This record gives sequence, C-alpha cells and structure tokens, in this order.
Amino acid sequence: MVTPTQMQAPPAVGPLPPLRTPVLETFALSNGLQVVVIPRHAAPIVSLTLMFRAGSDAEAPGLTGLASLTAEMLDEGAGDRSALDLAADLEQLGADLWLGAGRDGSQLNLQVPRKGFEPTLAIAADVLLRPRLGAADWERVQHDRLTALGQRRDQPEAVANIVADRVLYSDNHPYGQSSEGRESTVQRITLDDIARFHAAHWRCNQASLIVAGDVDPVALPAQLERAFGAWTGGPIPALALAGGARQPPRLVLVDRPDAPQSVIRLVAPGQPRLSPDRTALRMVNAILGGSFTSRLNFNLREQKGYTYGASSGFNFMRHAGAFSARASVFTDVTAASVTEFLNELRGIGERPITADELIKARATLLGRAAEALSTTGGLAATFGEISLYDLPLDEPGRFVAQMDQQDAASLQALAARHIDADRMGIVIVGNRSAIEPGLRALGLPAPELRDADGDPL
Amino acid sequence: MPNGLTVILHEDHTSPLVVVDLWYHVGSKDEDPGRTGFAHLFEHLMFMGSKNAPYPSFDAVMEMWGGHNNGTTSNDRTNYYEVGPKNLLETFLWLEADRMATLAEVITDDELNRQRKVVQNERRQSYENRPYGRAELVIPEVMYPAQHPYHWPTIGSHEDLEAASVADVQAFFERFYRPSNASLVIGGDFDPKAARAMVDRYFGWQDNRPVPRRATAAPAVLAENHAVTETDRVQLPRLRLCWHSPALYAPGDADLDMAAHILGGGKSSRLYKTLVFDRRLAQDAFAYQGSQMLGSLFQIGVTAKPGLTLDDMQRAVDEELDRLVSHGPTAEELERARNSHLADFFKGLDHLQTRADLLNHYEHLLGDPGACQQDIGRYEAATVASVRDALAKVAAGRRLDLRVLPGAAGGDLPEDDQAGAS
Repeated sequence: MVTPTQMQAPPAVGPLPPLRTPVLETFALSNGLQVVVIPRHAAPIVSLTLMFRAGSDAEAPGLTGLASLTAEMLDEGAGDRSALDLAADLEQLGADLWLGAGRDGSQLNLQVPRKGFEPTLAIAADVLLRPRLGAADWERVQHDRLTALGQRRDQPEAVANIVADRVLYSDNHPYGQSSEGRESTVQRITLDDIARFHAAHWRCNQASLIVAGDVDPVALPAQLERAFGAWTGGPIPALALAGGARQPPRLVLVDRPDAPQSVIRLVAPGQPRLSPDRTALRMVNAILGGSFTSRLNFNLREQKGYTYGASSGFNFMRHAGAFSARASVFTDVTAASVTEFLNELRGIGERPITADELIKARATLLGRAAEALSTTGGLAATFGEISLYDLPLDEPGRFVAQMDQQDAASLQALAARHIDADRMGIVIVGNRSAIEPGLRALGLPAPELRDADGDPL
Repeated sequence: MPNGLTVILHEDHTSPLVVVDLWYHVGSKDEDPGRTGFAHLFEHLMFMGSKNAPYPSFDAVMEMWGGHNNGTTSNDRTNYYEVGPKNLLETFLWLEADRMATLAEVITDDELNRQRKVVQNERRQSYENRPYGRAELVIPEVMYPAQHPYHWPTIGSHEDLEAASVADVQAFFERFYRPSNASLVIGGDFDPKAARAMVDRYFGWQDNRPVPRRATAAPAVLAENHAVTETDRVQLPRLRLCWHSPALYAPGDADLDMAAHILGGGKSSRLYKTLVFDRRLAQDAFAYQGSQMLGSLFQIGVTAKPGLTLDDMQRAVDEELDRLVSHGPTAEELERARNSHLADFFKGLDHLQTRADLLNHYEHLLGDPGACQQDIGRYEAATVASVRDALAKVAAGRRLDLRVLPGAAGGDLPEDDQAGAS
C-alpha cells in the first residue's frame, strides 16, 4: 500500500506489446470466390462480410442511389421467402443481416450465433443469388427512401456533409452525391435498373468473403461451397469517372434560422486510398484532429469551450480523397471558431510537431488497430476493407512498420504540402443572420448560399 | 476491500488489452432539484486532472501509450473506463485512484467554466439542434413529478449548469465519489495476483467513508392521461406514447422487453408490418422498455408518412396494442423475440469492454457480478401469458401522448418549461 505522498510518482509503463495480428487462412471455392477465414473463439458467434468492389462509384450520373437501393432490395424477399418471412426467419436464428453500399463498394454483413450459422448461410445465399426484386416491395422501398431523403434535411450534421461533398466534387462525379441518392434520381430509378446493377456487380468474381469468429475451419469450405458454389462470375465493368475533387468555394452557408449551434465543415481535396503518403497523413491527422488530445479538440473544446468536440480526417477513397475538419459550435462563437480552425490548419505545417506528438500519434493509431483486431466484427471489417482495396493481408503489420519510419520533420513537411488553410472551403449550417456579419469581419468573402441539398439558391 | 471498494477481476488473454471500468453508484437521480446535471458534469470535470495528474495528464498519458478513456452517465450510475495495451494497467489504476482521492482539492473555477460550456454544447448538439431531440427533455418532465429523482434529464438544465459553483462541485464530489460507493472491474490480459497488489497499493490507503444514502422513490404514477404537443424543426410529425412500467429486474420487466420487441423490434414486428409495410402510414415504428432502477418507461414511437396525420397513426397503433393485449403474442413470436434478444446479448460479450461493463452492471443492480444466468433466466422464463399480462397491466395505466409537429423549435428549453402539459 502506498501513502498519499507516494501517489505523486506515476507508475512506470512497460514496453508496448507489439500488434498481435490474427492467424488466418485463405482458400478459393470451386467458382473462384476468394475466402479469408479468421478463427476466434472468445464468444460463440460468427461474423461474415462479403465485400463487392462496386459501390456508388459504379452508378450512372442520373441514377445516384442505385447501388445502395440495390443492396437494400436484396433482402426484401428472396428464394422461397417474402420480405417479412425472411426477416422473421433471420430473427428466429438470432442473425443480424445488413446490406448496403458506400462510395467504393457494396457489402453484405452477417453476425449470428454459431449454432445458427449454417441455416443463416442458406438464407444469405438466397439473398445474393435469388432475390425476388418484387414490384410491390420496390415501390415501398423507393417510397421509404424518398421520405428518408426528405427527413435528412432535418439533420444539420447530415446537411453539412451533403453540402460539403457537393461543393468539393464536380457535379458529375459520384463522390459529390451522397450514396443514398437524391429525390430526383431515386424517382428515376426502376426495378430494371436494380436488376441490372445486381447482375453486373454482385458476382462472385467481384467479391471477397471474410469469415471471422467461432467457425470450424475444417467444415467451413464445404459449408461455403454448398451455399455459394453455384454462384457465377461475369465481366468486370470498367469504371470511367469524370473529374474528381476540385477547389471548393471559400464560404458556403446553409441557413437554419434560429439554430442554437452552427455546424462547421472545412473541406479540401485529399489523397486516394493507395496514396503512398496515407500512413504518414494518418499520423499527421492524429496530431491535428484525429484524437481527443489533438490540437483541434484541445483548442476548440478544452481551451475555449466552443464545442462538444472538434475533429478532422482524411477520407482516402479509391478514385480521389478529401480532407475535412468539423465541429458544432455555439452560434455566437461561429466566426471565432472558424478563426481557431484556420489557425490550427495553418499551424500543423508551421508549429513544430513535438516528439511527444509523434509518439502519441503512433501509439494512438496502434492502439486502435489492436482493438479493431480484438473482436470478430472488427476482424471482419478490417479484412473487408483490406480486400476491397486489394491490399496484402499483412496490411495491419505493414501499417505499423510504416509508422516506425516517420519522423517529425517529414510529417511536418507533408502537412505543409497537403493542408492549405488558405484554400479550404468553409461550409456552415446555421443561423445566417446571426453568423454572417462575424464571418465577413474575418475577411471571408460573401457566402455562396445553398439549400439543404447543396443546390445553389 | 476494507474501505468498501468492490473489485471484480475478469481475465481474457485473447488480445493483449486491458480494460479498467469503474462505476460510481451515483447518477442524475442522486442530484437535488435546482442542482441538476451534476453527475454528468462530473464526467467532464473528472478528466480535468487530479492532484498528481494535473490537467491534461489523464487524456495525454492515455493517448501517449495507445489507450483511450471515457465516461457515461445515466439516471442511475456513472461509469468511467480506460481501454488500452496491457502494459497500461497500473497507469490506469493510478489515474483512477488519484482522482477518486484528490479531484475535489484541485478543481478550479476556470476548469468548471470551460467544461460547463462544453456540456451546454453537448445539450444543444444532442437534443436542441437534433430532430425530435427535444422530446427526450420533455418526457421525464411530464412523466415524473417535480420531486421525483427522474424528473430532470441527465444532461441537466442550462440554468442549473450556469449556477453550479466550485463549492457545489466539491460538495457533490465529497458526497458520492468514495471507495464505498464504487465498484471496479479489471478485464483482459493481466495477472490477477499482480492486479490485486496494484489495487491494494493505489486504492487501499483511501479512507473508509460510509456508503452515501441511495435515492429512493415510490413508483411513479400519472394522475391523468396527458396529451402534449411540441413543435420541432422536422418535416414529419411523430407520436410518442409513454407509460410507467416495472423497474429494471422487477417482475414484468423482461416480459416488457419481449412485448416491445414483438410490437416494434424491426421488420418482423407487428407495428412495422401493419404501419410501415401493409398500410404505409408510417415511415418508422419502434417500441422499447426503458428499464431503470427506480421505475421504467414503456414507450412506442411512430413517424407519419408525408401528408398523413398523427390521428391515423394513433388509431392504428392503439389497434395493434389492443390486439396484443387481448390475445397475447404467438408462441413463435415470443421465441423469435427471445432468440433475438439472447443472440444480441452473446454478440455483446465478444467485446471486452462490454463484458467488463456488464459485470459492473450486475454488481450495481443485483449485488452480484455473476448474475448473468439470473438475467438470461428471466427471458427463458417468459411465456405467452406472462408477456401478455405484463403488457396488459402497463397499457391499462395512464399515459402520455406526445405529439411532435413540424414548426419552430424555439431556443433552449428552460427547466420550468412544462411543455404545455395538460
């Protein structure tokens, strides 16, 4: 037992344990479907992820929302089951099934107690191979989506994200539109479009299968073969994307009269997923706005009390990337908050990165990686992303090794090159009459006014 | 321990991680009227540093070594936790012990002022500037009388947050943040013998002060049905129905979890099938038993499709509710609800911190960290008749019909805003 005076000295901290990467197996089914198996027996559950390489980046410009609606339609009835029967049968097995699409990929996620794994696989195979795509189901799903798109305008954070993407990417680039789509495009989508998207992209040669958790690796190949063996491949469609990220306008406002907070986004073009600078930029961002003690959160939350949280991040996507910094702040400190954001964005290239900041960035990212690898869901998600971008399976270990090669000076130089405070687009959703004068006083130009969908007013 | 601290050890060597999860048996129910929001405000102040780990050591030490930490506060309890590589265990314990012993000595006006602003931003971000968020502030006000410990929301009112002084904070700390009012779970990759020695070392010297009086309350009842209409910055009207229901772990509580699941737990539920799927009246439908120590609220919510009114919605919800109350669930529905609940429970156990937190939950609520089987047993024991009876009893009580309509949301909700309660 210590005495109060002995509490003064913090205990010594031993060496950080190295990242423990999982032991995994890979094999292919007879149809070529690539499988990654990661056994983990801590809980009697199995997580399965099927990752497809096409997401909303594969949509034709007028059909925004098609990839996510296709994913959503697949479990609205499949094989012998109606939509409600399918939901009830999954529930009976204790299975969670989720289908969706993001920018760069579509996916099916499944989590189920071990004893329900095999029957759930059979349902998943129906969903993938034998979706009903019924007209009445489509009419309902389409209508629900249209309503949800309307409701999105109620949410200031969602509006800020939509507007930021609209101003950052050229109009015909899929990253400029949210993957949920917009009313005009969702109205235009037909059940034939859904069937075509499914037939073109939900093929076994465009997918990777990750199975993590309490599986029997000996029995698994036969189980998967029974479920997915009849699945066939098809030609891999080429994606020709026009344009990319562009320099956004300096100031964009979306008026939300009487809002008690302003939602702020600062956005600029970033780097694609396979950028050689990705690891270093993640470290830069951990220091700038990617952790609780980062410069942005420390300044805007802990020092000033302007916000519940300020953060930043690079979004590394297949065809292009984006940088953004964000916070929701008291309306009356909107301009002061923008000033602090710009100071910190300028400062990351100018104010020396300290040795402590470098150590902290590495340890924070290493800690997150270790935690992601400590649950079945995290394992499936980690290796799902690895397969989506065709990365080597030892990517988590490579990431740590790449971090070890960085020093403060090179991170600083990289930050100065990639984060330009004077060219950030500033998007604010808030009470325009209360905040515009303060923003003008900062020397910001007259704002471009947009509606909640990002359309110019 | 001799000073009243309960310590629970849970080994798991599958990953080189440890979790320290410390529950203080204090929540917003233990606050005084006019002094609300304190338990939650502490969540923020607790990271502002203690005597030997001055601000911002707590978070800085954490991230310097790859760990992270946070806290959560409810009506019933406060939870502080740290997660990180196993070599951080002793640091976690030292930090928690130091703030348990010394926070009140070092808290300053400046720290309080900054964190009260952060909390006010949290209140706006989570409730006042979020669609339908204001309903969460109105419901406890209407459902519980002014002196009931659940009358105010955990986040507190702007007025009380403004009024909080350092002296108030110190008094609250002295009252509740002591070994006898806490339980500590260590989970993950550690040696139990070494961990016991560390706990002795850092917590053992702290005073044995009596357990503070726990808040109690007679079961709340509504004197009459309430119909309240609020406006918010939303496109679509939403109906919320609230009843008083049995407290967490009281007879009927698990049955009402099952009833809520059968009514509004996803696509295969009755409200979803009728209102969303078949009749296309609603955009969404949900139901839940909001279980808490001093009494629960059984709630149903539905959001109208564009162009439809809440009257259509209310009739349809009442019909479904009457049908379930009259005939009970089918055996198949009950089995699905049970399977789904238990599967979610086991999925949660895959996560070390969820598991650590569950051990504290059982200790706090049932006085036994190993009460997992007792908890599961409640769901295994539920029958068609018990679910029907539990729901019938609740639905026969008076209720709040809260309508949220599109309109202006106004500014901050003051504490005395009775929201037009009738």
